[in-house]
Amino acid sequence: MSQVDPQVPAPGDALVTHPLLTGRHSDAEYSESLLAYVHAPPTRAWWMLLGVGLTGTALLAVAVGVTLWVGVGAWGNNIPVAWAYGITNFVWWIGIGHAGTLISAILLLFQERWRSSINRFAEAMTLFAVTCAGLFPLLHLGRPWKFYWLIPYPSTLRAWPQFRSPLTWDIAAVGTYLTVSLLFWYLGLIPDLATARDTARTHRARFWYGLASLGWRGSARHWRQWRTGYLLLAGLATPLVVSVHTLVSFDFAVAQLPGWHTTVFPPYFVGGAVFSGFALVLTLLIPARKALGLEQVVTLAHLDNMARVLLVTGWVVAYGYIQEHFFAWFSGNPYEQHVTWAQHVGPYAPLFWLQIFCNVLVPQLFWVARLRTNTAVLWGASLLVNVGMWTERFLIVVSPLSMDFLPSAWAAYRPTWVDWSLLVGTMCFFGTAFLLFLKFVPAVSMSEVKELRREVDESERFREELGGAP
Amino acid sequence: MPLLTDSFPLPVLADRGDAGCACGAARPRAWRSWESRREVPARSAEFPDGADLPPEGIARRGFLQVAMASLAAAGFTGCFRQPAEDILPYSHPPEGLTPGVPLHFATGLEWDGLVVGLVVESHEGRPTKVEGNPSHPASLGAAGVFEQAALLGLYDASRARTCRLEGQEVAWSTVQEALEARARRADEGAGLRFLVEPTGSPLLLSLQARILERFPRARFVPFRASLPEGLHEGTRRAYGRPLDVVHDVAREVVVSLGADFLATTRPGNLVLARDFLAARKPESPNRLWVAESALSVTGGFADERLRAKPSQLRPLALALAAEVGAALQREEWSRLRPPVEALSDAQRGWVRRAARDLLAHRGRGRVLVGPESSGAVQALAFAIDEALGNAPRLIEPVARPLGGLEALASLVGELRAGTVDTLIITAWNPVYAAPVDLGLAEALSRAPFRLYHALHEDETSAHCPSFVPAAHAFESWRDGRAPDGTAAVLQPLIAPLFPAAMQEADVLGVFAGLASQSPHALLRALWREWAGAPQDFERRWSTWLAEGVIPGTRAAPVHAELEEHAVLAATREPVPPASGLELSLVLDAKVHDGRFAGNAWLQELPEPMAKLTWGNAAWLSPATAARLGLEKDDVVRLALRGQSLDVPVLVMPGQADDTVTLALGYGREAPEGVAQGVGVNAFRLRHLDAPWGASGVGLTAVGRREALALTQEHWSMEGRELALQVPRARLTEELRALRPLQEDAPHLYAAPLRTGAHQWGMAMDLHRCTGCGACVVACQVENNVPVVGKEGVLRSREMHWLRIDRYFLGDPDDPGVITQPVACVHCAFAPCEYVCPVNATVHSDEGLNQMVYNRCIGTRYCSNNCPYKVRRFNYLEYQQREPLARLRQNPSVTVRSRGVMEKCTYCVQRIERARANARARQRDLRDGEVRTACQQTCPTRAIVFGDLNAPDSEVKRRHEDPRHYRLLNEQGTQPRTVHLLRVKNPAPRGGT
Repeated sequence: MSQVDPQVPAPGDALVTHPLLTGRHSDAEYSESLLAYVHAPPTRAWWMLLGVGLTGTALLAVAVGVTLWVGVGAWGNNIPVAWAYGITNFVWWIGIGHAGTLISAILLLFQERWRSSINRFAEAMTLFAVTCAGLFPLLHLGRPWKFYWLIPYPSTLRAWPQFRSPLTWDIAAVGTYLTVSLLFWYLGLIPDLATARDTARTHRARFWYGLASLGWRGSARHWRQWRTGYLLLAGLATPLVVSVHTLVSFDFAVAQLPGWHTTVFPPYFVGGAVFSGFALVLTLLIPARKALGLEQVVTLAHLDNMARVLLVTGWVVAYGYIQEHFFAWFSGNPYEQHVTWAQHVGPYAPLFWLQIFCNVLVPQLFWVARLRTNTAVLWGASLLVNVGMWTERFLIVVSPLSMDFLPSAWAAYRPTWVDWSLLVGTMCFFGTAFLLFLKFVPAVSMSEVKELRREVDESERFREELGGAP
Repeated sequence: MPLLTDSFPLPVLADRGDAGCACGAARPRAWRSWESRREVPARSAEFPDGADLPPEGIARRGFLQVAMASLAAAGFTGCFRQPAEDILPYSHPPEGLTPGVPLHFATGLEWDGLVVGLVVESHEGRPTKVEGNPSHPASLGAAGVFEQAALLGLYDASRARTCRLEGQEVAWSTVQEALEARARRADEGAGLRFLVEPTGSPLLLSLQARILERFPRARFVPFRASLPEGLHEGTRRAYGRPLDVVHDVAREVVVSLGADFLATTRPGNLVLARDFLAARKPESPNRLWVAESALSVTGGFADERLRAKPSQLRPLALALAAEVGAALQREEWSRLRPPVEALSDAQRGWVRRAARDLLAHRGRGRVLVGPESSGAVQALAFAIDEALGNAPRLIEPVARPLGGLEALASLVGELRAGTVDTLIITAWNPVYAAPVDLGLAEALSRAPFRLYHALHEDETSAHCPSFVPAAHAFESWRDGRAPDGTAAVLQPLIAPLFPAAMQEADVLGVFAGLASQSPHALLRALWREWAGAPQDFERRWSTWLAEGVIPGTRAAPVHAELEEHAVLAATREPVPPASGLELSLVLDAKVHDGRFAGNAWLQELPEPMAKLTWGNAAWLSPATAARLGLEKDDVVRLALRGQSLDVPVLVMPGQADDTVTLALGYGREAPEGVAQGVGVNAFRLRHLDAPWGASGVGLTAVGRREALALTQEHWSMEGRELALQVPRARLTEELRALRPLQEDAPHLYAAPLRTGAHQWGMAMDLHRCTGCGACVVACQVENNVPVVGKEGVLRSREMHWLRIDRYFLGDPDDPGVITQPVACVHCAFAPCEYVCPVNATVHSDEGLNQMVYNRCIGTRYCSNNCPYKVRRFNYLEYQQREPLARLRQNPSVTVRSRGVMEKCTYCVQRIERARANARARQRDLRDGEVRTACQQTCPTRAIVFGDLNAPDSEVKRRHEDPRHYRLLNEQGTQPRTVHLLRVKNPAPRGGT
């Protein structure tokens, strides 16, 4: 029986060329600096952004109202294009959420230390994105007030959902996803809420943070149970990273429509989801890091890593495109071939080439190490990836529908102002929720940063003891 | 004659003839629904509720309302639909009526002066569906688009409701007194003129005769926009006097020069289509030659179609006569040959081959000429037919008075001269439809008293201070004649919805001195006299009403000698030379001359070939459009003799080059509602000497675009095997190649159980489908299918459960055409079923793919997964809910609300009604007992529905026909509707 070595902190990662933390601070200093934005009165910029966000949210409310009042006919959908912006937005928002789960759960299980500074951020994003996403399947129903018929409940009608339909799987998948994401986020937040309570400057803040922190005292027992729970939830969340978007892709893959009916969709959708999710994390993180002064905890190492993820998942997406084209040709299916070909040269060609540019060409920038840490390039690229992924979802949903089997039924789709308002409105709602999150909750997990600082200290000390280089 | 199936077929409305009102005083209240008892609120539009809401942008006034409601109770709109009205029990039903069981009454509709016999279904006194009358010679069970859609005109909220006398709203009795005062005159009617539509109605003609007896110097001036027809001029040239022709097209060779005899756009055409198809067996089809300028239903169906300008129809006829004459060694005929430059090589070749075909089938051919052609061309066709032993059947003209636009012109002259003091107008809307150079509107004002009798307050009523609202055809007692002269009594289905509505006989009766008698009484008196006042008149009258025809009234053939010299002399008359762009004005396939423009069903019916809805367009050939640098939707200004018109362009394959075809009947200014502002008024380019168009029309682009609402934008089949047609010569090998489209594809799953006793199926024979669109209207009426308006069509949201796909084949300038009806095919492996999350679409054990409306939540996944895209979604609240519109609905079919998917049900309500009927009689369902609405009305019997389990059913035979195939069979859906391929019979080429 061999002697098990004492746990050795990992000696630096060959890939990580930048420090995960810059400078060394005490716990109190971290609490102080990371909670500074929460405790300080809101800045002028925050108010202005909130104003923009609330205006957009009001637009969303109007668009939702019109949709419910007039009917889903207020959208531009038609026959044959019965799904359009609504489902596009749904898939896009759901995909965006994936970065959060991936960072929180999978990277936690793999003990990737660079997740610590950005997981809170990404998880919050997941929550808000899934909320936005969940709006669309409800609104797109012809009779949204009957949405609960999708849920298997003991109905006196003795009618159950039809379980062969991917839409019923969707309900389960998205519902689980939202629940687990919420629990995971909140559980991770508890120690920090307690810190906020303890450092709160007003009585009211102390009361509310105290209520929200559920009596956390930071005892060893608390920490032990908290850690177990957190790991368990991470274990639960891990399959969701793969399953949610797989099921969303089934909405298309299970149908027999040319352009939808393909087995590559599940991995392709998951890859695309992580791709778009990381892009949005970058889009939000880069300005927030600046504004909140988080450069010491969200360092170039984080940006570098995320850029690499973009590069990898960008290739997953590109592989999906290659597969689509290969199988369109290889299947010998004329309908499939027509849809694929028409994307290149037909009315949707500009969108198709935009998608190729944004999703395939732009990430190739990140082969260059310098560009991976150049915030301006990174930010621009992440924006383009977001545009590209939305375009991809739009093309997947709309273009096969608009030209399927019988040419007599072909028709184009044009969005209405309600469609645009819902898209812009959910973005603004997302932004608003995010601003509130930044204001009321520490955007970076303080407890994990403190823990990380100790780990880094330990490993450095260990290295010194070993006598320098590993 | 087969009796109708109702156990008590007598019309319940028949009154004793003693009441002043047409409907009889005793019972009409019982027949009117409670809604109509009260004042029905006037609604300006016939659009469905949702259709007037712009899908793009929100109505200005609705904005605040919506914005407020969005935050409050927006989600609950669907819950509150209870009408806040009292209802009354139906406590005294008429005799013979079982609530819930519809009755069927034989009646008919007269248009263009002729009657098509109909059977109208009536639910508790509300007419809800129009079908053809199998006993009637102009119907044989079929009904065209106009006859069926006329039902909507009955419930039209924009109908006129009050009488006017010199601008004052008055009661009919006041008008009647005024008219009686007008009838007390000493000038023998010198200043009395009637502007009427030619009619075959014995009742109206007898009233006219009686008026002329009283007022010998009065005159009845015929007017209808579909006049002048060259026919009477042609028979006058050929046979010495105006005659009608009862065409027989069950021939081996039919040559049509601009005659669109397969479309349902003329009263006689339903039977022509039936006859023509009778001689077109797939194994030995006849041959159809069509020369025309704009693609028509007949042209699309032709074996040999030739594009020709309108001005070239005359040289074509001359060349045809010359070819035939040369073969028959008629010296003077060969001199008819037109100058070489008049026709192209291809056209001369077409004529040569057509002539050879006619000569090879002497006595078995027919030459038809469109009604717009001149008398000389018509006469020439008779001469060719007579020379080839194809003599037509001639009868005395049915509709009178005779005459064309010259009669109206002389009336205008009299009006201008001030010699007319009383003008009674019962013709439809002459101010709108008269040639523009007549100046009728201005001339009208010269008549001191002018009274207009019409269904609507329209363009003409604006120039007539006195007005009497007309009763709808289904509210009137009258009679009429079929194209072959057969008379029928047209009985009302319902008492006038608006009490002030009067019939034409009421108005004319005043001048005939018969004001005290109701039209019903006059009608009975007339026919009693005709029958020789027999003892059993009551019984015979009842039989006539029940069967919808009066036996023994078919017109006897007239024997007339062809005057060949007169025909030849007519051909030598000079015609104005044609040059430049030729404008051709045509009656519209959907709104006719504009009288159906207020009919939303017809407005939304796709034009059979162009698939255009809600408006007209200038049709240009692809080559001409390219030459002028125009595309679809570009607005152009057509200028002719100082008149101009801005109209969007439709690039139309099959259109003759350098011609513009423009449909009449649009651009209505009144009444408010559906018709207003749809399309442009082509009558503004109509001139007295060129009623059907002219050459030298100016065309300039305006630089604006206006979207045309087409239901089918894509012309090509993309090389897919969808709508199939094969030339006769290759039929055998093509049938062999059809095998893969007939057999089940291998499947992973077991086929669904077929446990039901009946297994329903349908067959649609493309060989018989002309694409006329009658089935589309039938389906719409039967199944309460809503209309969505132009905005809806532009957004591809049309709701038709049954659509007719039209594809062009080959050269876009001169394409082949095929039409294919497509509705839900009721797949055995239905892709829609497994994707519905709430089980709203499920399979029945009898093979129906069923839609459960109240379970549907509107995910629309089923439509996405339907390879045929036959599912329709209620994107907005399309159903009309005002009382008048609700009267029209078929109570056997659920009215669908917003947010629900719908589609063809195989008329499941008809299946269930037949099943209940059979069960009550303790027997099994018989083949042919269930007929779907589309099948019932199809003039060519292209659609067959029935039980595939029945050993000898017609549908089973068609399912086993070697011509049958399954649409998209490779998808493995195993559809229950099969299509049968079309066999074309082009003339053999080679040699000249």
